[in-house]
Amino acid sequence: MSEEKCYHCSDDIIGKPIVFDTHEFCCNGCKSVYQLLRDNNLGNFYQIEKNAGVKPSESNLHKYAFLDVEAIRAKTIEFEDESTVRVNLYLPAIHCSSCIYLLENSPKIEPAIQSCQLNFAKREASIQFDPTKISLSGLALFLDKIGYAPNFGNRVQNEKSIDKQYLYKLGVAGFAFGSIMLWSFPEYLGVENDNPEFRNFTAYLSLAVSIPVLIYSAREYFVSAYKALKFKSLNLDVPITIGIIALYVQSAYSILAGEGPGYMDSFAGFIFFLLIGKWFQNKTYKMLSFERDYTSYFPLAITRLTNNEEEIVEIEALKVDDLILLRNEEVLPSDSILVSEEAKIDYSFVTGESVPVLKRKGEFIYAGGKLLGQRITLKVQHESNRSHLTRLWNEIKSEKETTSGFIYQNQLSYYFLIAIFLIALGASIGWFFIDPTQITRIVVAILIVACPCALALSAPFTFGNIMRLLGRRGLYLKNTNVIERMNSITDIVFDKTGTLTSGSTDKVELIGDELQFEEKNALYALCNSSTHPLSRGIVNYLRSQGVASKDEIENFQESQGKGISGSINGLDVNLGSPSYCNIVNKDSTETASYFTVGNKKGRFVFSSELRIGIPELMNRLSNYKLHVLSGDKDKDLTLLKSIFPHESVILFEQSPADKLNYITNLSLEGKKVLMVGDGLNDAGALGKADVGIAVSEDVFRFTPSSDAIIEASKLSILDQLLSISNYSKTVLLVCLIFSLTYNIIGLSFAISGNLSPLVAAILMPISSITVVILSTFLIQGKK
Amino acid sequence: MGMIYLMLIVSLIIALFFLVSFFWATKSGQFDDDYTPSVRILYEDESIKINKQKTDGNTEV
Repeated sequence: MSEEKCYHCSDDIIGKPIVFDTHEFCCNGCKSVYQLLRDNNLGNFYQIEKNAGVKPSESNLHKYAFLDVEAIRAKTIEFEDESTVRVNLYLPAIHCSSCIYLLENSPKIEPAIQSCQLNFAKREASIQFDPTKISLSGLALFLDKIGYAPNFGNRVQNEKSIDKQYLYKLGVAGFAFGSIMLWSFPEYLGVENDNPEFRNFTAYLSLAVSIPVLIYSAREYFVSAYKALKFKSLNLDVPITIGIIALYVQSAYSILAGEGPGYMDSFAGFIFFLLIGKWFQNKTYKMLSFERDYTSYFPLAITRLTNNEEEIVEIEALKVDDLILLRNEEVLPSDSILVSEEAKIDYSFVTGESVPVLKRKGEFIYAGGKLLGQRITLKVQHESNRSHLTRLWNEIKSEKETTSGFIYQNQLSYYFLIAIFLIALGASIGWFFIDPTQITRIVVAILIVACPCALALSAPFTFGNIMRLLGRRGLYLKNTNVIERMNSITDIVFDKTGTLTSGSTDKVELIGDELQFEEKNALYALCNSSTHPLSRGIVNYLRSQGVASKDEIENFQESQGKGISGSINGLDVNLGSPSYCNIVNKDSTETASYFTVGNKKGRFVFSSELRIGIPELMNRLSNYKLHVLSGDKDKDLTLLKSIFPHESVILFEQSPADKLNYITNLSLEGKKVLMVGDGLNDAGALGKADVGIAVSEDVFRFTPSSDAIIEASKLSILDQLLSISNYSKTVLLVCLIFSLTYNIIGLSFAISGNLSPLVAAILMPISSITVVILSTFLIQGKK
Repeated sequence: MGMIYLMLIVSLIIALFFLVSFFWATKSGQFDDDYTPSVRILYEDESIKINKQKTDGNTEV
């Protein structure tokens, strides 16, 4: 393998490096970004972090033209006056601190940008620019040019306000908690009876500041408990609400009756700690936006041809039979028929298959394909939202409503309530014989200490920490509920292409005449000049055999969709389809590239290769039932059979709808299904499965909507990830035991009639804090 | 004794002041992004650093 890495993007340099300023670059794009940075004194970019650069994509001037369509522009822009426009752009390529450096210094490179401020966690840039000097599309193009192509897909924006609401509620509760505790100090110190007037004064103050806590901060617990009871079910918020109400009513009564401040400090502290748990739960990793649907993948606008006039229109405005124009690298937004002679379509996002498909005039092309090569004209067959793939997407939409709270807690709360009821009953009977006047006070005290505050905190912290841990290992979850569903999985279903295999150009076989070194050299040089995935495959294959030619090519010719030819050191080389090389095609089912070098001929045959570690993974996953659903023909059956346990189900030629049905049937049988897939064609199945994990080579690129995204290289440790997720059960159990211990201690105080406000004020925060620390340590220690 | 009532009221007012400032800080977005500013602060004097590098005889890495 070559040691040469691009100075800018750190990719392997394929072919001749472009040397500039003593550094080597893989392409002109990278070189020009470097040049731009150097010329603007931003060379520090390369020193801040390794692998900082992002390879800029090849883009054409029209790529962002849709941004100048007024309707789209208005939707994108946040603020505008004559000299300033502010936009919030989503730049998925932001990945390290060097990116912050570069983008926030972008006004130095492009003077029309007035300021640029990044939100790293959200990968957003808030940019102000001068509309008289640069247009919105120009700005987008500039960002694209330096490697940060903006993404204009629809994204959900309201998370922020939820987060802020928790902060407000937390603020109110914290304020009340601190103040009331301060005023309760005489009470704690036992000097309460010296001055009844003063005591009443502080008690009324406490009552006053606790009202907003009850009405504002604690409201969602009441709402949640009310909803649960209304649907005749239970969640943890029911016992919590009972505890809160008991606390508040008892304290308010004792204040109004002039008996002292009651438990107002515990009440405020209680809400404060509960809200910290909720806030933490909300805060856990927002690195990835998961609320993507097909619209974030499709372009917002497309060029429509009306009477030979080009016009950019929004996708929604496309009608059946419209003629549309597609340029290189653009994605087809609706099912269409090809009007131009031929086109190469890359369906890798849809199927995971990286080799482009050649389509001829009159052929049907599904939405989601990306055009490679010259521009083409197409005739729309279905409107965008009715196309084949989007229909599938819409069918499965939002069946998995995210339940509030945690499943296990909701089950526990049932036993919890019964236990509290029995204890309260027992205590009442006991006290009936000792002192019947005390019964109410004792029962209220029991309800107060039995309130499962620590338990309520254990779940968000445990699941939140597990989620972070998994994130560090390359599995990113949509929310904490996924962990609970993941822990009850019985069946795992895999897609093949792009999931188990890494793409079909990885394994290359040379069939034909024996080649000398010079001939291989010549082939290498020729392939090196092409960006076609098959050429890349051949280059990698030859490089692994020690070939690394940097020879010049003469008479280079490329015939779109057919092949390439040239002359290297006097050797004539042709590479491409059988007809291009005048070779008789022997086997039409294989993916192959034919060649002639001098007077020798042969072909490179490509086949898919399993990702590293997959066979071992299947061994380790033996306690799950495994299934493979492949969209391909059954050429890899023997390979798959050899690595999968023999009771596994392996099915071929599965359409997206078949996959969806298969998962549905498994669910009907009562199985809990984990689906691992990649392309858009798995979107239905991923959505239907209890847990859908999308495999992605690059986490920041498009993946179908799913419950989780896994880095492709980390798929081989799926079993470890599942066991980490399972570990959450153990942690929760330990937390449960601890919080129950505190409850029992508290109950013993309550039953014996000794629950003073001081005991409550100490016991409650300590139990909550122990559980939080415990769960954090148990998980961090697992590293 | 009258003093302690005054102090109680003052403590309440101070606490309220902090509560309002916390609201204001939240609203103005100070808690929206807790990562980027920590990186940004390191770049403040980068232009000086680069100039120094240039005088060192263009020692680029």
